[in-house]
Amino acid sequence: MALALSNAFTAMSREARRHERRTKNPANPELPAYDEEEMLMKFAMPGPNAPDDFLSGAFAPKNANDSDPALKFLHGTTTLGFVFSQGIIIAVDSRASMGSYIGSQTVKKCIEITPYLLGTMAGGAADCMFWERHLGRLCRLYELRNKERITTAAASKLLHNIMYSYKGYGLSMGTMIAGWDKDIGPNLYYCDSEGTRVKGQKFSVGSGSPYAYGVLDEGYKFDMSIDDACELGRRAIYHATFRDAMSGGRVSVYHVHENGWTKISMDDVQLLHEKYMKEAGRTTPAWNHM
Amino acid sequence: MARRYDSRTTTFSPEGRLYQVEYAMEAISHAGICVGILAKDGIVLAVEKKITSKLLENISSEKMYKVDDHLACAVAGITADANILINYARLAAQRYSLTYQEPIPVEQLIINLCDRKQGYTQFGGLRPFGVSFLWAGWDKNYGFQLYQSDPSGNYGGWKATAIGANNQAAQSILKQEYKNDMELTEAVKLAIKVLNKSMDSTSLTSEKLEIATVSMVEGSLQYKILDGATVDAALKELDLQPTETS
Amino acid sequence: MDHLLGLVGDGYALVAADRNVNHSIIAVKHDEDKILKLDNSKLLGCVGELGDTKNFSEYVQKNMALYALRNGCHLSTHAAAHFVRGEIAHAIRHSPKMCNMILVGFDGDSGPSLYHIDYLGGMHRMNYGAHGYGGFFASSLMDRLWRPNMPLEEGIQLMKKAFAEINQRFLVGGATFTLKVVDKDGTRIIDLGEQNNSMQT
Repeated sequence: MALALSNAFTAMSREARRHERRTKNPANPELPAYDEEEMLMKFAMPGPNAPDDFLSGAFAPKNANDSDPALKFLHGTTTLGFVFSQGIIIAVDSRASMGSYIGSQTVKKCIEITPYLLGTMAGGAADCMFWERHLGRLCRLYELRNKERITTAAASKLLHNIMYSYKGYGLSMGTMIAGWDKDIGPNLYYCDSEGTRVKGQKFSVGSGSPYAYGVLDEGYKFDMSIDDACELGRRAIYHATFRDAMSGGRVSVYHVHENGWTKISMDDVQLLHEKYMKEAGRTTPAWNHM
Repeated sequence: MARRYDSRTTTFSPEGRLYQVEYAMEAISHAGICVGILAKDGIVLAVEKKITSKLLENISSEKMYKVDDHLACAVAGITADANILINYARLAAQRYSLTYQEPIPVEQLIINLCDRKQGYTQFGGLRPFGVSFLWAGWDKNYGFQLYQSDPSGNYGGWKATAIGANNQAAQSILKQEYKNDMELTEAVKLAIKVLNKSMDSTSLTSEKLEIATVSMVEGSLQYKILDGATVDAALKELDLQPTETS
Repeated sequence: MDHLLGLVGDGYALVAADRNVNHSIIAVKHDEDKILKLDNSKLLGCVGELGDTKNFSEYVQKNMALYALRNGCHLSTHAAAHFVRGEIAHAIRHSPKMCNMILVGFDGDSGPSLYHIDYLGGMHRMNYGAHGYGGFFASSLMDRLWRPNMPLEEGIQLMKKAFAEINQRFLVGGATFTLKVVDKDGTRIIDLGEQNNSMQT
């Protein structure tokens, strides 16, 4: 009975709102208004009434003495992307940490949105995976409807619009969208769950990003060979995994070019470490080097 | 069967006509006449006041309304309908000024109102508004402007026009006598002249007329209803003053 | 950490914003343009939370385009400013937009003007104004050096002095700026030359 009643109320207020929208003053701007009620109507909400509170409850420590939450998102990550003369390089690690445990060493943090678009994953694994696959669906539909590929700018804007509309609802993601657009060339965008969307030449996202930036900025040149660029990306991720305990596993490197993306390599960081040590003629990290 | 296509506002007849809308326009052509003339320094609106009874208190006009500081209108048709639309127009004007802190451009307000009138020719179960308007206004983009709007939602800008009973006769006089670059004072006289010729009554007095002007006085807009003495003086000047015996 | 400043001069108005996008301690981008062209005679500088600033200024831009399309004429700077203020004042009680803005425009009848608008819905028409930390340094500088009817070249010089002061005294130095002007000929970006080339993009 209570349910039926509340449904009736919802229906009533919905009708009232519809009426209000119909009778809205035409002199007022009619492009999407910033109205909470309208927002609620526009997108699906998860079960709990206040998702933000629900999440902070669900991810709280099991007992008061614990400092670590019982559940944790995929927090440790290093991802990077940069534009250079031959396209874009995307490099990512593969570790999923859950609190102090390594949850997985083989996470695919590079999401293949379409054959021409790549997305990276940092923050909440589920959020990234869900929304980027959703984006993939939207991009494919765009292609079917318009008989041409969606641009990177448009695709990233689609994702950004979703992120912006869910702003403050507890989503967690930081992603780069990379693609090659017909007649335009390579394009790289950074989008996150705060509603940020910026176009750029060089980005790194995740807990290991400061480390990755260090290596990336030092070695970056616009005119590089593909091999050199891939190696720079690999190196940057490797050094980040070395310094950042929450990043690790394998380094995947992708190249985005005129004909879409190609996966270049996937290397275990341990093996990379040994290789780089050997190349440098060392057995210990540089900071221990006598 | 003859009434098949006129009982609903929203059904076209086989000839492609909307009878209810035409009837609404017909209702207006029986209403007291309104004349509007655009002069270079202002606009004059002049209407016939129909005095139905000697006992009727001579209250302020029911055919002439100020919509906003820069906009006034004259009404021909069902006054009750007009009240609804004028209320709407005043609301739209204030809403615009609330949003943008400047007066609404004249044509924009009229489009807004005409959109509403148009709706009544299309959506079922409603009767069209039985009113036509003359709008006299000023805005910074186009200066003084005179518009006419009708029940179908059509509107147009005019140099001089008339609505209501005998409007065709009035318009043909206007066509002959209107001059570009008229002064407002000349326009007032022309308006009286037109009313004199198109009203049924043989003698014109200030009680049967109502004249309003929108003009710029010392840099600010002024909406003014001419008082009886002024109208009488104008009538005298035009030699239209009735003899005492009438 | 954003800087936004503007001034009105003789037949023109200038607006400048820094070009950094920061995320916690990381400078994510060094060449972001934070000044949106609303129409041929209006510029909106917008700083604050990045998602909000971009989203809101685009919303304003699109609504103004819609107005122009519907009514065959553009909004005056005065009307646009009041529209922006109204939207912000509405948003503050619904879904707040962290946007601090400077709107400059040029109107045929009234010349150049500058409106200083904050995220709470406060608005003032001013001869010069600034937002953000940089505003503390730039405001006093403009109090001292601004005078009515400055020629464009002097206005640009004053802006450059403000940029230099911000970079000299503000804790987080190394900011680069976008400078734009609006006057009777429309809007233009003013080339700041070496100042911006020193920073890698």
